[in-house]
Amino acid sequence: MSAPPVAASDAPRVLEGPALLAGLGGGPGLAAHRRQHGELPGVGTDDLLAALGRLRVRGRGGAAFPFETKLRTVAGRRRPVLVVNLSEGEPASAKDCALATARPHLVLDGVDATAAALGAREVHVVLPGERPRVTSAVRAALAERPVRRRTVVHTADSRFVAGQARAALELIAGRPNLPVTSWTPEAVSGHRGRPTLLSNAETWAQVGLLVLRGERGYAALGTADEPGTTLVTLSAATPTVLEVPFGTPWRDVLPTSWAGRPVLVGGFHGSWVSWEELAAGTVSVDAMRAAGTPLGAGVLICPEEPPAAYTARLVGYLAGQSAGRCGPCRHGLPALAAAVGTGDQERTTELARLVTGRGACAHPDGTARLVRSLARLRVAS
Amino acid sequence: MIDGPLLWYLNRGTGFVILGLFTATTVLGILATGGRAGRGVPRFVTQSLHRNLALVSVSLLAAHVGTAVADGYVDIRWWQALVPYVGSTYLPLWLGLGTLALDLVLVVVLTSLVRARLGYRSWRAVHLLAYAGWAAAMAHTLGIGTDVRARTGWADLVVAGCAAVVAGAAVLRVARLAVPAGSRA
Amino acid sequence: MTARLRVDWPACRARGLCHELLPELVDLDEWGYPIVGGEVTPDLLADARAAVRMCPRLALRLEEPRPL
Repeated sequence: MSAPPVAASDAPRVLEGPALLAGLGGGPGLAAHRRQHGELPGVGTDDLLAALGRLRVRGRGGAAFPFETKLRTVAGRRRPVLVVNLSEGEPASAKDCALATARPHLVLDGVDATAAALGAREVHVVLPGERPRVTSAVRAALAERPVRRRTVVHTADSRFVAGQARAALELIAGRPNLPVTSWTPEAVSGHRGRPTLLSNAETWAQVGLLVLRGERGYAALGTADEPGTTLVTLSAATPTVLEVPFGTPWRDVLPTSWAGRPVLVGGFHGSWVSWEELAAGTVSVDAMRAAGTPLGAGVLICPEEPPAAYTARLVGYLAGQSAGRCGPCRHGLPALAAAVGTGDQERTTELARLVTGRGACAHPDGTARLVRSLARLRVAS
Repeated sequence: MIDGPLLWYLNRGTGFVILGLFTATTVLGILATGGRAGRGVPRFVTQSLHRNLALVSVSLLAAHVGTAVADGYVDIRWWQALVPYVGSTYLPLWLGLGTLALDLVLVVVLTSLVRARLGYRSWRAVHLLAYAGWAAAMAHTLGIGTDVRARTGWADLVVAGCAAVVAGAAVLRVARLAVPAGSRA
Repeated sequence: MTARLRVDWPACRARGLCHELLPELVDLDEWGYPIVGGEVTPDLLADARAAVRMCPRLALRLEEPRPL
């Protein structure tokens, strides 16, 4: 199994931000958090749903699924379960780690507010297997808070696919931390058949911010179409995590040292984009998705190597990270890695098509997307 | 109780036929679903054969058990067909093994009929009991089989043949398992 | 809306019975795993149900459209 091209970090450089990452100087403790944001107000499910809908709050795990829809699905059902996905299986990402070590109570306030609104009595937190500072920070934060409901902490495997939604649900059910086929959405039937609201840590933090600051405060940043901010990881040996309001020009975000070089947007399952195209755009989920370079979980990588070589290395790593159970992924990804390595364009295209949509999770799909974007980058340049 | 040798001969006859049928069923089960689709007989044919043969065997098994109970030559009560050993007077150990075989076959067949509802893992765990059922049937034959005990050559041959065929199939299947999936054409 | 065949990928072991029974809809890739192409039209429904029933790993499911 090859090492990831970027090692997971549990000590990123976290920059002060306007909302999520505001007031870092006070430290991660509960007292400082309360001094800054006040007590957590109670909020009814209907009010919360309405606000989430108006503010178009979307998941920050990579799929950008509307959180309001998930919450609405769960809200109508009995005995819901809430899951905080802090596993951050993408090694190049460090935003969830940043939240866990600097702003854990924002995440937990989001969970508590939602749990109180839903009447949920069970919360699960999935922690990363290879970022020990995250584990200790979250446990410390949990210990500070009053115990209002059953909260169970789990540790994910150190595997790329361990953070996938169904894999996380398998983990909390006590089974191997591997993706399984999802016949119904987990919001309908998830953990033990119960409606399960599973979301990324930053998504929960965004909900917490909304409840603490109110709709007006939340919408003070960002654009009319995409209110609020999002966390971005600029990958490096020591990654930088920064909070960026939607609509900010990428030119203002990207390091000058990256100028002129292609950037991989969206992490290991992301898309290559030329510097010119990226620098001309803004931080926007919709615009970037329309351009074919989705923001994903906000990870940006600008490697020293040329994109072709880096992609070959990446696909080799991703092939090794397959859970090894779904045939097309188990056989197709190593073959794809070989094809990318030898530059066999025809075979690469064929294999990318063969692995897409034929697995229990989107691991092969994301890898295929990465490979296709390399081809588009070549064509564009 | 019906006297006369007809039932007795029917019982013995069906006994040997079922032994052969169950052996064939077991062999088909061993070979049918291992490995992958490819040359030779289509997999769904082997699997259908396995299922249909199993059902035929069970029908004949009903006749075998029925004739044993109905026949007056030996004292076998109807409930001894389902509960092994307890209170039976005719060669209780060997009859009991036959009863055990019947019980196991019934469990295997019934779970297979509701396979989709059971889920794969539970179904498979029970299905493996088929081997035990076949072994019990073999032991039952060796211990209670009139023709075997009379040491007639052909009876021994039939039993030995059944054992050899199942052992051969098992060896084949294990050998195929040793070849990692994906490296077979 | 017509019915859809879905593969339970972690359960599938490339036994190939689905392709044998429903070659109109199920092809096999170079490693023997099913490629399901298209929706299950009414004339193929019986064969699709047979394929689901015959899969030795119970790895095939037929998602029938829910009544409105």
